[in-house]
Amino acid sequence: MNAIEVSDVSKSYGSVLALDRVSLSVERGEMMGLIGPDGSGKTTLFRILTTLLLPDSGTATVEGFDTVSQLSRIRRRVGYMPGSFSLYQDLTVEENLKFFATLFHTTVAEGYDNIRAIYSQIEPFRHRRAGALSGGMKQKLALSCALVHRPTVLFLDEPTTGVDPVSRRELFDMLMPLREQGVTILVSTPYLEEVRRCDRVAFLSRGSILGTGTPDYILSRFASVFCPEPLSHDEDEALRKADNVIEVSHLVKAFGTFHAVDDISFSVHRGEIFGFLGANGAGKTTAMRCLTGLSSPTSGNGRVAGFDICTQSEQIKRHIGYMSQRFSLYQDLTVRENIRLFAGIYGMRGKVVGEKTDRLLESLQFTSHADTLVSSLPLGWKQKLAFSVSIFHEPEVVFLDEPTGGVDPATRRQFWQLIYDASSRGITVFVTTHYMDEADYCDRVSIMVDGKISALGSPEELKRRFQQPDMDSLFTYLARQAVRT
Amino acid sequence: MGTLRHLLVKEVLQIRRNSFLPRLILAFPVMIMCVMPWVMDMEVDNVNIVVVDNDHSQLSRRLVERVASNPHFRFRGVLPGYADALSYVERDKADVILEIPLHYEKDFSLGKVPRVLVAANAVNGTKGSLGSSYASQIVSQNLVSAGHSPVAAAQGVTLSTLNLFNPHLSYKRFMIPALMSILIMMMCGFLPALNIVGEKEAGTIEQVNVTPVSKFAFIFAKLIPYWCIGLFVLTVCLLLSWLIYGIMPSGSVWLVYMLSVLLALVFSGLGLVVSNHSDTMQQAIFVMWFFVVCMMLLSGLFTPISSMPPLAQSLTRAIPVRYYIDAMRTVFLRGGTFSDILPSTLALFLFALILDVWAVISYRKRG
Amino acid sequence: MTTFLSFVLKETRHILRDTRTVLILFGMPLVMMLLFGFAISNDIQNVRVALVASSADASTQRIVERINASEYFTVTHVVGSPAEAERLMRSRKADMAVVFSQRFASHAHDNTAALQVITDAVEPNTSVQQSSYLQQVVQAGVVGGSSPVNTSLLYNPQMRSAYNFVPGIMGLLLMIICAMMTAVSIVREKERGTMEVLLVSPVSPLMVMAAKAVPYFVLSMLILVCILLLSTFVLDVPVAGSVFWIFFVSLLYILMALSLGLLISVVAQTQLVAILVSAMLLLMPSIMLSGMIYPVESMPSVLQWICQIIPAKWYISAMRKLMIMGLGVGMIWREITVLASITCLLLVVALRKFNNRL
Repeated sequence: MNAIEVSDVSKSYGSVLALDRVSLSVERGEMMGLIGPDGSGKTTLFRILTTLLLPDSGTATVEGFDTVSQLSRIRRRVGYMPGSFSLYQDLTVEENLKFFATLFHTTVAEGYDNIRAIYSQIEPFRHRRAGALSGGMKQKLALSCALVHRPTVLFLDEPTTGVDPVSRRELFDMLMPLREQGVTILVSTPYLEEVRRCDRVAFLSRGSILGTGTPDYILSRFASVFCPEPLSHDEDEALRKADNVIEVSHLVKAFGTFHAVDDISFSVHRGEIFGFLGANGAGKTTAMRCLTGLSSPTSGNGRVAGFDICTQSEQIKRHIGYMSQRFSLYQDLTVRENIRLFAGIYGMRGKVVGEKTDRLLESLQFTSHADTLVSSLPLGWKQKLAFSVSIFHEPEVVFLDEPTGGVDPATRRQFWQLIYDASSRGITVFVTTHYMDEADYCDRVSIMVDGKISALGSPEELKRRFQQPDMDSLFTYLARQAVRT
Repeated sequence: MGTLRHLLVKEVLQIRRNSFLPRLILAFPVMIMCVMPWVMDMEVDNVNIVVVDNDHSQLSRRLVERVASNPHFRFRGVLPGYADALSYVERDKADVILEIPLHYEKDFSLGKVPRVLVAANAVNGTKGSLGSSYASQIVSQNLVSAGHSPVAAAQGVTLSTLNLFNPHLSYKRFMIPALMSILIMMMCGFLPALNIVGEKEAGTIEQVNVTPVSKFAFIFAKLIPYWCIGLFVLTVCLLLSWLIYGIMPSGSVWLVYMLSVLLALVFSGLGLVVSNHSDTMQQAIFVMWFFVVCMMLLSGLFTPISSMPPLAQSLTRAIPVRYYIDAMRTVFLRGGTFSDILPSTLALFLFALILDVWAVISYRKRG
Repeated sequence: MTTFLSFVLKETRHILRDTRTVLILFGMPLVMMLLFGFAISNDIQNVRVALVASSADASTQRIVERINASEYFTVTHVVGSPAEAERLMRSRKADMAVVFSQRFASHAHDNTAALQVITDAVEPNTSVQQSSYLQQVVQAGVVGGSSPVNTSLLYNPQMRSAYNFVPGIMGLLLMIICAMMTAVSIVREKERGTMEVLLVSPVSPLMVMAAKAVPYFVLSMLILVCILLLSTFVLDVPVAGSVFWIFFVSLLYILMALSLGLLISVVAQTQLVAILVSAMLLLMPSIMLSGMIYPVESMPSVLQWICQIIPAKWYISAMRKLMIMGLGVGMIWREITVLASITCLLLVVALRKFNNRL
């Protein structure tokens, strides 16, 4: 008997068809990956399997129990970690775990063996509130909470989105022994290296399953989506003038006694694509907030686009663009209105804006969606649009804070094409990311560990210096040296 | 200036797109103006009264007749004894008991001043005291008309009352200026505060903070639409009060608008200060609500400031709404001119200035 | 049972760790009680009187002295004409005026001497009371004799507004804490995604709700005790009736509020909606239509009907009878029945609407 059996399940919300006659079976003890672009119906499938939603038609069984009629039996056997799951931020690590243990009629002591490998890593901080943990730790705690009652089927809905590569790898390392114990795992993820660690993979797109098979089979069959041609980036040395657009020396940002950014110095050349890497909680976002004038540094100094970051933050803002991970434009304004708003904020003239907007929409192939509300666009489109808006006023530098979280490789590739175009126009790009393939796209990268920059150079140069085969292992190598949390 | 225009366009579009706000802006004033004056009617005109007549004389019967025909009272009948009457009070069937003693007429004709007992349920103080003073008036009138007696020796002095500014003693006239302050508070205080905290929660405020938009432009772009809405709502209120209740400001309409603009400035300043210091909508709403309730209670909106103990009275000097209500009533009902409300206007202006400066200072583009 | 307790513990921690909200929860009753108890009153006092007298003869003088001697009035201005008095009142320098007719004293015996009381009728009740007090003072002055009426104010001899407001505050605060806070805390779990995990667990969703209600129940009991203590020892409003029945009726009311909160949480999807719905459907009616401030019987009959379905109205009326008037439970069976049936109705609707899926 298969652990999970889905046959002909359909589900629609109003007129939107979220799942269209989906069939899927997962064997006991198998780790099944569920992949597909944003909005393809992954979360809906998870919710149907965890008995949270009723399918419109078709049947689904988990461990042989029907999701519609036998929900209480299923609920006793499964562990679920939803994508939006964020623990109780105001409870401590230990309180969270204890609470979820009692929720499933067990105790932490009973389930401890099951979660030892994961929980022992966060146990030193068991009196810290969950809200104060870094992203990777939160996910580990959430996984511990989902595992403490020894479920036989585990549902993980994008457990690693927004988590740095090291923590991601550790999280998946923890799943492996479970599989050996016969726990069935259904997991969705946007990261290719994680897809490769699954036994089998199902590719879901627009509510239907386009294919199921081994990771290699699926990744090669849908190579256009998952393994797009690597981008070719010809270094145009002529553009690369020697002047520095960003110069930082001995920058420190402290919150009380905690030095989030601890004495960093670096510079970025004009037209360069600079990758600013680091684990969750290493201080990337704090440093970026200092550079963009959102917060003032505790000590040290720096210049962005020729202006001092301590005293001339308002002038800096005139010459930079910014796109943050949370933000993708005003959701309740249309595409055109958003462009006009931000162009207007930077003082661009109405006539110029109109012409440029048309050109931009045409190049993005958005013309027919110019008057659509941003909230109804797919995530990948929003991100492309947000980037285009952030460089619409031709800034000297554009800061991108994890711009491509949660989208598939093909969309990310299109996004990076936009970045290259901008860079070739002389716009300096300062970007943070958790995708290590994107790190390879950068001209130079820096890797932050514990608030300090522990490596800086071109990807090739760094791999050589630290004798690592690829960026992923380089990052892991350096990030493992972190001592603080 | 151009930036401000673009931000304004954005705010207006967002308000229009919102599924809830436009309806609120239209429905709220209409509901408030159509329902609230009826709810907030504190007129005491139907006091339930029972009479215990122990005398059964002509004089006492005439008194009972007077009570029964008095428009202030709803006559609930004559009962045999005080205990019965008290049980009426306990069961909420009567508010006032009038007990006429034995030998009432006899004592009166002997030239004494016989005393009737008026017992009023004073849990609701206003009702109790008004009921008992209406009853006393009837008793006196009855004795006066009963002929030459010591009381009738009001000794030639006729007493009359002239009710200025509100001759029909209408509660609606009294409440309408107060309702306007509530509306302005909602439209210019609560809504922009929620709007800003909403942008904080959505993270969009950060995107604006990394642009060269000055904080003045950002704050003004937030406030100007709500000020316009506030003035629009005020106009609707004035029209409705004229159409439904036939009540027009006795003083200059421009003064009404001027005061309301000042109050809008005060409340939007307060809303901004609260939203700058809170991180979630729940917090902002709670804190705002707390301040507003305290302000309303101390503003003289519900109960006269002169009735408060001295300490509370001096506390009201720190409440901006108090000056608004005071000045509004002067203009709206008493027909006051600018010179009459000058002190209140200055005070309001001062409060607006302090709060708005504080709001701009406490809004930080960088953390 | 352990599951239930751990739920209660978790919920208690949520409440206690949000210091700002806890402060407001306990600060609000305190401030409101103090404001209502000390600041808010309808008592007539410090009334500034402007005299309009053309001559300062002996009988005028006697009346003026009477007015000044009373605890309510102070003569602050003496002016020559009614118009001047009106100007004073318009600029808020005087609250009322007393006009003596021309040559008041010499006409005292031919029935043409007249006194006119000019009131500032902007606030009708106050002006009626002011003029009636003034008449009493003046009449007593003229007659010199005793009043023909012996007034006794039942239950509230000092006419303190606090007597009227304390039950109202109880009704309002218990409603806010139980209904609004419960609804918001359930909806918050929906918003944050933790509700999904709770639903997927084998624990019955009804138990989740019940466990959520317990801390708020305890909290409201605490606040109820606080209010009662404050009102007895600080405001001097005695608890006249039986404490047992006061708690019994309050319990019923709290239960009602909790089921209302549950119902709102079933309907609302975001915290903001929950807050707005609570404010619109609970707070406004509880303040406006419950008889807390505005007497129900003065409203037009349509509104009076609406008032009948406001639970706070019944609670406040029961509390007034029990606490202030000191009546026995026999007098409030109607209130109890109505509250109990509303509670049952709400609970049934909330449970039927309750969904153990998303």
